[in-house]
Amino acid sequence: MIHDLGPQLFNGLVLGAFYAIVAIGLSLIMNLTGTINMAHGSFMTLAGYLAYSLVLRGTSFWFALIAAPLIVVVVGIVVERTLVRPLYKREPFYSLLMTFGLSLIAEEVYRLIWGPNAVPFSPPPSLNGTTALGFMSFPTFRIFIAVVLIVAIVALALFLTRTRFGLRLRAAVQDTEMIAALGTNTQVLYAVNFGLGIFLAGIAGVLAGGMLGLSPTSGNSLLMPAFVTVIIGGMGSLFGSIVGGLLVGMAISLTTLFIPAASEVSMYVLMAIVLLVRPRGLFGEEGIFG
Amino acid sequence: MSFRRELLFSAAVVVLFALAPWIAPLLQLELSTVSGVLVTAIAVMSVNLLLGYTGLPAFGNAAYFGMGTYGAALSVSYLHVHFVEAIIIGTLAGLLGGLLLAPFLLRRRGIYFGLLSIAFGEIFYFIAYRYTDVTGGEDGMRVVRPEVQLGGLHAGISDFGFFYVALAIFVVALIAFRTIVRSPFGRTLVAIRQNEPRVRYLGLNSDRFIFVALLISASMAGLSGALSALLLNFAYPLQLDWHQSGYFVLSMILGGAGTVWGSLVGAAIYVIGNDVISTITPLWQIFLGALFVACVLGFPRGILGSIDLLLRRAPQTFTDDDVNAAFDPAAPVEVGRGR
Repeated sequence: MIHDLGPQLFNGLVLGAFYAIVAIGLSLIMNLTGTINMAHGSFMTLAGYLAYSLVLRGTSFWFALIAAPLIVVVVGIVVERTLVRPLYKREPFYSLLMTFGLSLIAEEVYRLIWGPNAVPFSPPPSLNGTTALGFMSFPTFRIFIAVVLIVAIVALALFLTRTRFGLRLRAAVQDTEMIAALGTNTQVLYAVNFGLGIFLAGIAGVLAGGMLGLSPTSGNSLLMPAFVTVIIGGMGSLFGSIVGGLLVGMAISLTTLFIPAASEVSMYVLMAIVLLVRPRGLFGEEGIFG
Repeated sequence: MSFRRELLFSAAVVVLFALAPWIAPLLQLELSTVSGVLVTAIAVMSVNLLLGYTGLPAFGNAAYFGMGTYGAALSVSYLHVHFVEAIIIGTLAGLLGGLLLAPFLLRRRGIYFGLLSIAFGEIFYFIAYRYTDVTGGEDGMRVVRPEVQLGGLHAGISDFGFFYVALAIFVVALIAFRTIVRSPFGRTLVAIRQNEPRVRYLGLNSDRFIFVALLISASMAGLSGALSALLLNFAYPLQLDWHQSGYFVLSMILGGAGTVWGSLVGAAIYVIGNDVISTITPLWQIFLGALFVACVLGFPRGILGSIDLLLRRAPQTFTDDDVNAAFDPAAPVEVGRGR
């Protein structure tokens, strides 16, 4: 059992990177507009299925990895402009309820189009097999996933801190009215920000489809760990989401190894402990969402 | 509405329900569906107290509901308790769930409260799901509806009898609910929803009010859950899932948030609608989802909330501020968002 520890820890890291990237997408949307996007998992699933269909029609995996998330971003922005936008001025639970309804619809639509059972979506041959890392060897695809997710997170961090648009986004989180008064079109900010969150979900959705399987509910099964990640990391902190995601991934993979029956409950226990010590989560910022 | 008119109206509704065993077949409804409406309405009331009146996004009430369900189911199966005891145990189990989560939930307001409610509620779901030896896991567990034993009285409860039990308990719950929300305590909850800092400046410890509201809500949800187990003769983990909480919230919005009778109206639409649609088409989930979207976008005040607006000859369109600030029949429609 102990010699399984290394691979299992690495699995935990990969899983944690998934949770982190989903949580970051959720946080982006939540921080700017106060919308809890219950349909986030549905967008992930959609990206996975689109990639699956593209590969089935003969495109390469690499093309699908970029194209599927972009298509989903378009869908996401359309949904944001037409359905979510009218709710920005209302109490946040309305948008939670609305996106919950969307996820119910989406699940059934996926079932109609792609069938109720899991479909086989495997990574390309070049990513199959294992890679030796000196002290142990891992499936190549998982290493690839880890690299892509890390690149995506770093790119997002650079976008938010190094570009003018990213600066406006972060400023809008602090004071939307002020940034609007200074001449920024906040509606564009809202749409791009939503699209950004969905793009991250899309990439994660395609990769998760290859690693964890693809079924009408597969994206939703990543949603709850992502919520827990946001809570542990602290709302309003992207860095917190990264740390929270890795902690949740570790907690799940270690309990899967040692106490399988507690594998789902472990992250909630972790969440409870963190909240008892730090009520705002590990890196929660003062004043955001009280 | 004057008190006398309200009393007459209420009595008429109760009499109508009492005749349900004869009316329901004419509408091609099972009597158990009507019982389901009454049972669900109690759970919707529990959400209404927290969300409709106090303004806390109660997206975790399925956890207390499920505590009640499994509290009743387990005590009947393993301790062989009788009917009345099972309901009491279920209610107390819901209360226990509220006590367990209160220390975590009370620290937060707004969506953070909602997020915590969802996340902590899932713990209960996974315990029921994973603890297969005791709860039957994913398959759920059968509950043989026990006899009533009170003093010398021994009686089995048929579906017909259960309906009247459910009706009686619903009426008691509704009266209790109305009494609570019209009391100074209930008024304070509404005040907390409208402007919590001001309530605190007035010297009231809003945390304590929310704590009590949470416990009342959890007990009501537990009561509803226990009745549900005894109605269906079955308990299953999906009853504790956050989806279930979402259905309760939807029902509350459908009926009219912050209205006394809204919970019954919403529960009736949800339970009967679900029943009818799922017999017509296997795609019921699409219709349910569309109902969520349509209700939130086009009908956020719900049926009773909209009727209330009409009666007061207020403008028939609503602004988002109306939706936010004026669930409450007593509050003037013009009231802005209390920030």
